[in-house]
Amino acid sequence: MKRRHVLGTLAAAAALSQAPLAQAQETIVIGFGGGLTGYLAYYDGLVLNGAQMAVDEINAAGGIAGKYMIDFQVKDVRSEAAAAAVAGNELVAAGAVALISPCDADPAIAFAQPAQAAQIPVIAPCASTPVLFAAVGDYTFQTYTADNLQAAVSAKYARERGYANAYILISPDTPYTEKLPLYFADAFQKMGGALVGQGTYAFGQQDFSAEVTNIKALDPQPDVIMTSAYEPDFPAFIKQLRAAGITTPVIGSDGIDSGTTLALGEIAEGVVFTTGGFPAPGSDLEAFYKAYVARYGGAIETDVAPFAAVAHEAVMTLAKAIEAAGSTEGAAIRDALAAMTDFKGVTGSTVALNTPNNVALRDVALVRVTGGAKEHLGNMQPAAADVPAP
Amino acid sequence: MAASTHAARAARDLRGAAFLVAPLALVAIATAAAGDPAWTQTVVNFFVALTAVVGIGIYVGNAGIVSFGHTCFMALGGYLSAILTVAPNFKAGNLPGLPAFLAVVELPLPLSLAFVVLGVGLVAGLTGMVIARLDGAAASIATLGLLVIVYNVLIGAREITRGSQAFYGIPITVGVWTAFAAAAVAIVLARVFRGSSIGLELRATREDEPAAGAVGVRAVPRRWSSWLLSAMVAAVAGALYAHFLGVITPKAFYFHLTFALLAMLIVGGMASVSGAVAGAVLVTVLIEALRRLEEGFAIGSLAVPPVFGLTVVGLGLAILLVMYRRPQGLLGFAEIEELVAPAASPHVAPGPLPRVEAAGALVAEGIGRSFGGLRAVDGVDLRLATGEIVGLIGPNGAGKSTLLGLISGVLRPDAGRVTLDGVDATDWPAWRMARRGLGRTFQNIRLFRNLSVHENVEVAARRSGLDAGPLLAQFGLDALAHRPAGTLAYGPQRRLEIARAVALAPRFLLLDEPAAGMNETESDALLDDLRRLRDETGIGLLVIDHDLRLIMRLCDRVVVLDRGQVIAEGPPAVVQKDPAVIEAYLGRAHRPTEPNSEG
Repeated sequence: MKRRHVLGTLAAAAALSQAPLAQAQETIVIGFGGGLTGYLAYYDGLVLNGAQMAVDEINAAGGIAGKYMIDFQVKDVRSEAAAAAVAGNELVAAGAVALISPCDADPAIAFAQPAQAAQIPVIAPCASTPVLFAAVGDYTFQTYTADNLQAAVSAKYARERGYANAYILISPDTPYTEKLPLYFADAFQKMGGALVGQGTYAFGQQDFSAEVTNIKALDPQPDVIMTSAYEPDFPAFIKQLRAAGITTPVIGSDGIDSGTTLALGEIAEGVVFTTGGFPAPGSDLEAFYKAYVARYGGAIETDVAPFAAVAHEAVMTLAKAIEAAGSTEGAAIRDALAAMTDFKGVTGSTVALNTPNNVALRDVALVRVTGGAKEHLGNMQPAAADVPAP
Repeated sequence: MAASTHAARAARDLRGAAFLVAPLALVAIATAAAGDPAWTQTVVNFFVALTAVVGIGIYVGNAGIVSFGHTCFMALGGYLSAILTVAPNFKAGNLPGLPAFLAVVELPLPLSLAFVVLGVGLVAGLTGMVIARLDGAAASIATLGLLVIVYNVLIGAREITRGSQAFYGIPITVGVWTAFAAAAVAIVLARVFRGSSIGLELRATREDEPAAGAVGVRAVPRRWSSWLLSAMVAAVAGALYAHFLGVITPKAFYFHLTFALLAMLIVGGMASVSGAVAGAVLVTVLIEALRRLEEGFAIGSLAVPPVFGLTVVGLGLAILLVMYRRPQGLLGFAEIEELVAPAASPHVAPGPLPRVEAAGALVAEGIGRSFGGLRAVDGVDLRLATGEIVGLIGPNGAGKSTLLGLISGVLRPDAGRVTLDGVDATDWPAWRMARRGLGRTFQNIRLFRNLSVHENVEVAARRSGLDAGPLLAQFGLDALAHRPAGTLAYGPQRRLEIARAVALAPRFLLLDEPAAGMNETESDALLDDLRRLRDETGIGLLVIDHDLRLIMRLCDRVVVLDRGQVIAEGPPAVVQKDPAVIEAYLGRAHRPTEPNSEG
């Protein structure tokens, strides 16, 4: 087995020890394509590290079911769809039995297409837009907390709090900032709520006075404002919202699961957001985060995110599927993945992949900003019927 | 004769294109034979990028203006072709805003490409009407603005584009042959355009726009044509990109791709088609080599661990190195065949000079021009008939060069009128003056420095229908014909500038300080040349110079200008003794220096 790392984690990775080679009968290739350079480097770097940890654990334990050692082949797709297509083809040609895809939709689609054609399953552990099934086909699986899943949970939370009227703020600049609030509105209305208004912003917009004025003029007034804006837009928006005297509760999504939100102080007090997981004391996720920073360095608060855990889990899911299938044949692994109902990995959440679009049904963490810190309100898994169709 | 030179030029350009296309054909054949999907993908990717880079080079290389905007034409091409080719049931679910006729069509790729060329051509034609009017940094920034606008329109028009979401489901119909064919066609088009009269004239404006104007070249329409053609080629590249990946997003055609393609073009050398090809080849080969290294390798027992990022860092370093060693790119201004087999410059028999048949005159009546409070030229009457040599002298700052600018259409007079053979030419721009028979040279030599000596003359000769070779021989420049003009010594540069003006077959020729920097011997030779030129052609010559010895021996008539006004006029012998002239020249030392408006 080779050691692999991105430039930034060279020192940490150099400290790794070689895994002992166990007495397995067979070596199988699991391919990884990620944007290790370019705009995806932050996300795909986390995914690579998490997946690598899982591979090392499996190999150290003698392989999948004591039978298959993993040859983990890594390709940098440089955050480009064209390079991702080449990497996907190369990994298929290298005989990969399964692939882990890049985070963003277009490189992921280009990467997964050759695998779909060759009937090799692909897991996307951090793409949150539920698009792969429709764009590529039934050999793709998305295991992160998808946008529509987060929206179902925030809608459920809002309805449980008794909010009847909602306002959403969207930006058409990315699918994440556009579709997630729309999914929320969809779920919220299905649960008996009403949408009373919708605002639009552009990335980097400094002035939200028009949106704030519109919110103020709404009749009936919204009980809750939902947006998937993140920095610098979210801080700008909420500052101007609160400055205008509007105290309506605000729900966000995992884009604001960062130190910036906490640094807003009093203004962000009470903001609730959904996210991929919360490392509550004593939780499985906390244990994984500790192992992660022990291996790659950094701090739990700043240098690791749920993507890494979901990536770890994705490799474990594959191992489980291969074990269940008793085969490394693509169709058999795919069927085993699609039959999975309650897999449990380092995130601590059960993961079901027997869903209409192969998008994982799993826990979403609800977090509230309280006294300048993150307060875990709990994890919630929506009913499959409550998740808006992609 | 014209038809045969056209054919010869086309043959030369096609031969040049063959130099580039042949090795690419071998790559395509080898790829098709090998049939390895990953390698095929890499090669198709290369051909698509090559098509785009060659397309961008049609504008950037010939106009000398860096465009950040051509990826927007790729985006438009990609999206238009995607919309035309995806299945109607996909459109019903994903593109609800499509007009009915677009919602039901499902075209095959070749037909779709035809619409892409027409549709994007229309957009380019319209945007080019604005952008072609700009040059230099203003044009570059305008292209950047265009990119940003198109990007945001594609995101905003989500009812027909899926906005920022991935547009998937595009039929994957581009393989190695289609991509190779597109690249080959792009190369042939680019070579033929570069060598065409439009391309040559555009390259002349790239080198020196005022000098190009002085041989009758209008920059704006030339830039527009290259903008249109390059946009069409880029659009096809964008469509191929969509049909080989099957998925596009607006951000795939944004800054990242823009800079990746420009890096290829600039590294290879943006001024030639071969440079564009060389850049695409070099960058692709580097990426492919480095990315294999970065995945880790073993030399004997020494295992080198993978270091991701090596590709990007290594590529950056390679680009830096090339730019440091060769700032004009790998190939500079040359095409590959010019480097591999440099053309000889055989001696050519001097041909006859153009002959002025009908007599006429260039006349300025009471013309004037102010710059702020300074009346640089004030009510000057000047008449230059065909077949005569008139000298224009005066102390520094007298307004001589301004007067020349007013007569030649570079500057607009604010009083008086100019007539050319009796036709009012007061408001004619420089290029029209040139086309109607007025040639000129410049005080500080203005050659098309990176064009060959032959091309410098050919820009003008193609317009007049003259043959450049024999004309060069007339000026003793035939042996230097294939040298870049900027590499000539001073004397030959002066001769070349005159030869270029004569190649226009002008009726009148304005020479601004032709003897500047010459010693007595050179100046005597110039005198003989100019007199012979007049005798053989019948061109009317207006000569500005400070070399009074030359002026007095050369000219039939001398006009003396001081402080913007004519203070004396007549045969040299008479003017020489005029007290006002003596005072203007000698008195200059006793008066404070006047602002110099000749600059």
